[in-house]
Amino acid sequence: MADDGQPRRSFVESHRTLVVGCGSVALFFAAWQALFLIVPFNPLFISKPSLIAEGLWALIAGGDLAHDLAVSAVPFAYGFAAAVAAGVPIGIIMGWRARVGYALDPLLTVFYASPLVALAPLVIVFFGVGVAGKAIIIFLLAVFPFIFNAHAGVRTVDPLLINVVRSLGGSEKDLYLKVIVPSVLPYIVAGARIAVGRALIGVLVGEFFAASEGIGYAIARFGDLFALDKMFACILVIMAIAVALTEGVRWAERAAFPWRIGQ
Amino acid sequence: MPAYIAGRNVNLTFRPPNRAPVRALTGFDIDVEEGEFLSIVGPSGCGKSTFLNVLLGLLKPDSGELTLRGRRISGPGSDRAMVFQEFGLLPWRTVESNVELGLELKRVAPETRRAASRRFIEMVGLTGFEAHYPHELSGGMKQRVGLARALATDPEVLLMDEPFAALDAQTRDLMQVELLRIWQEARKTVLFVTHQIDEAIYLSDRVMVMTRRPGHAKRMFVIDLPRPRDYEMRVTPEFNALKLEIWNALKDEITV
Repeated sequence: MADDGQPRRSFVESHRTLVVGCGSVALFFAAWQALFLIVPFNPLFISKPSLIAEGLWALIAGGDLAHDLAVSAVPFAYGFAAAVAAGVPIGIIMGWRARVGYALDPLLTVFYASPLVALAPLVIVFFGVGVAGKAIIIFLLAVFPFIFNAHAGVRTVDPLLINVVRSLGGSEKDLYLKVIVPSVLPYIVAGARIAVGRALIGVLVGEFFAASEGIGYAIARFGDLFALDKMFACILVIMAIAVALTEGVRWAERAAFPWRIGQ
Repeated sequence: MPAYIAGRNVNLTFRPPNRAPVRALTGFDIDVEEGEFLSIVGPSGCGKSTFLNVLLGLLKPDSGELTLRGRRISGPGSDRAMVFQEFGLLPWRTVESNVELGLELKRVAPETRRAASRRFIEMVGLTGFEAHYPHELSGGMKQRVGLARALATDPEVLLMDEPFAALDAQTRDLMQVELLRIWQEARKTVLFVTHQIDEAIYLSDRVMVMTRRPGHAKRMFVIDLPRPRDYEMRVTPEFNALKLEIWNALKDEITV
């Protein structure tokens, strides 16, 4: 046996957080499944993991799931991209130009704090049942984390770095490009993590109100049909997507900002 | 014919919102010769750094005249560059990219920038660290980057605002030796603000003592010690006599 004097770390020891985390998820599903050994099972009110797995497989094999996801991805992509494109500049200008900040902050805080979902029917009436209406609902939900995080990020910009760039002959535009945006970028990415969750709410809400396809519509329809196995399958898929996107952003954050390791 | 850098009756008052105004400089006069190494010492808050920022063009005086080669200073210019006490490196840029910043802002072509950064990184002794980020460097190395960045824009005047104050004592001594070597190699006019009388004497041709706030020139000392200077010079009687003289001029201005 190879022995370098160091105690060997097993896979379990070196991936403790991962193993424990997955273990608790597995335990949750096992307990859910086991519950119905004691409690009588009524498929009209609840489903269980074995049936959900079957339903999920049926949706995958039939191509329904892929189709619904592809449909929902379109307004998600438009709405989220618009949220970045509008939210980041608004937040940065609010932070850098104090008067713009004073002017917009109360208004935006009201919108951020209120349940914007209540506006969804109105948005559908204005912009229709197609991609535009849904994209706007997603945009409205996702834009605020970008605005507020960019705004907060600007306040952390080191005035010394502003003086450095000014003293070397930098223009106002240089201040934005060389100092402010790089300083704010990590805050924007942190905002993106929050925005992903809110944007997914937007996808579901938009499709609950007005849709004939998409993952949110599928959840609503399977619920109406008492096909709870398939409904839960779609909910689990949405959850998995939320986790994947959030973790993806977290990973990108580590990869994109090597200088933050030392801070 | 005015001096190379000439300040006449420079006045500056800070007016922070909701607080009493602070008079930082009143009747500040200075004459600097081309190529000389001039240090400014004075009590904390006497306006030494304020004056450097006025000379750099980041602050505008309320009144008075400040000229470089007879031309009034009205803003930042490529004839002046500052080395900051807290380094002021952009944390998301590598050493090389930080050194190139000034040239990049002047829209200098990338190849020219690269050549300049290589030269000055070598001059400050950081060859091999081009791709490092500031957080991977020690304090002394960070200030070498700050110095290389200022030199890379090829300024006539180098302004140094307590550049070694954030460094430990040994690193500081080494950096002083390095600075003299680089000054002799690059031939710049240097204005050096410090709290340390030793440092000022060791480095300078002349040392200016400032009064307490609102600050202006109190006395000018000519340091006629021979160059090149070495570390042993700091324990000679001449050195200590100067140190005592400057201390005597300074101590009345210091309030604890």
